[in-house]
Amino acid sequence: MESLDDSPAAPSAPADAATGAPVVSGPLVAEAAAMASAAGIPRVQVEQLGMRFGTHDAVIGVDLEVAVGEVVAVIGPSGSGRSTMLRCINHLESPTSGRVLIDGTAIADPGGREPGPRELAALRRQVGMVFQSFNLFPHLTAIENVMIAQVKVLGRTKAEARTRAMQLLERVGIAEKADSRPRRCSGGQQQRIAIARALALEPKLMLFDEPTSALDPELGLEVLAVMRELAKEGMTMIVVTHEMHFAEDVADRVIFMADGRIVEEGTAQQVIRHPREERTRKFLRAVLDR
Amino acid sequence: MFHYIGPIAHGIGSTLTITFAAYAIGLVLGIPIVVARSSRLRVVRLLAISFVEIFRGIPGIAWLFILYYGLAQLDVQISSMTAAICGLGLIAAAYMAEIYRAGLRAVPHGQFEAARALGMGTVQVYRSIVGPQAFVTSFPPAATYVIGLLKESAVASVIGAQEITGVALGQQQEASTQGLSVFLAASAVYLALSLPLAGIARYADVWLARRVAGAEAA
Repeated sequence: MESLDDSPAAPSAPADAATGAPVVSGPLVAEAAAMASAAGIPRVQVEQLGMRFGTHDAVIGVDLEVAVGEVVAVIGPSGSGRSTMLRCINHLESPTSGRVLIDGTAIADPGGREPGPRELAALRRQVGMVFQSFNLFPHLTAIENVMIAQVKVLGRTKAEARTRAMQLLERVGIAEKADSRPRRCSGGQQQRIAIARALALEPKLMLFDEPTSALDPELGLEVLAVMRELAKEGMTMIVVTHEMHFAEDVADRVIFMADGRIVEEGTAQQVIRHPREERTRKFLRAVLDR
Repeated sequence: MFHYIGPIAHGIGSTLTITFAAYAIGLVLGIPIVVARSSRLRVVRLLAISFVEIFRGIPGIAWLFILYYGLAQLDVQISSMTAAICGLGLIAAAYMAEIYRAGLRAVPHGQFEAARALGMGTVQVYRSIVGPQAFVTSFPPAATYVIGLLKESAVASVIGAQEITGVALGQQQEASTQGLSVFLAASAVYLALSLPLAGIARYADVWLARRVAGAEAA
């Protein structure tokens, strides 16, 4: 686990990325970032993404690029299409129009060549996802939850998987719960196990779908602390959240969505402190001035 | 009544054979049927649904007649035991497919999503994640069904199988007037078999919910 020594936590980092200077983080991350920026390919490209359920347009013409190592917070009212957009990025939902590319490879492309089931599974391995409702596997212990995809998907031996799983559980601070079933763990612990489970495949990108919304405020803090660490280590993250402090402190960029569209985007300072759009202001008043 | 229990007990072996062999067919054959029910191909889905509805809809007694005498007409000779096992096995498969389906539907959608998000393929999702959970939910109704099947196996007597009811019918004919005692004795034997079965099922249910699904592990 490499941590930062010389790079400031968040908001100033994207400026470096924007100017093309490689952001200095841990050695591995820096290397990956350098490679990707040399190739000039963003980690995630969402192009004109549209998602229609029956007659309802959940996502309309969303364009989004996320650079390697960037942390993007997506804020906005519930039902604004944020989760749907996120779920299209690892193809849990099949978008009805537009494209999603991970490192330049299409994971969803309804107009063109869609990846087959095998290819899709391979692409999903590179994308970790954390759900609002944790979705841990109740028939497995914490450590087995973190092991199972390593064994079944990556083909690691159980011994390897166990060692790696234990490291991850230590990293998210719940090694002592390794042999407990999820139902014996608090919500905050469950969500941290879920993060460890997603990290076990060594993803290039982590998607968080309201990771703290189902948690007591104090338990949410445990989860946010783990996410801060991850961001610091240079993980590329897209976080759908109502946690404005987290967005302000950690996100390189904040996106405000409403009614299926991106209304406004910029740094946390711009979007949360100095919103330009009336729709954004209205939402933020509801969130911040309560 | 009690002196009938001796002869009737000779039918226990056949009753248990029919019950458990038919149940085994149902347990195994129920799986491809429930898989076929959610096939992408409409024809396959329709076939699976037809199978379930037909074998749940026909009374066991009629179906065994059709199977046994129908095959005889086609010059296919099978023993009444084989006919009973296969015939009831197909009915059991229809019921088990429905029990599995209920078990699968009880697994929250988030489980499928989490497994798919981890890059698992459909087979892996079912085998490692959804299957074990569905199995635990399916167990109580499946155990109830095996007790029902134990009683249902009595219909094998109509095609001449010498299981408990078959033996009882023979005894009754010999004795001609003592029908009541014979069937009281037969009922006592059925109860003596089904009560421990129910006990085992209850114990296994508790044990399963606690252990087996988890022991399948990574």
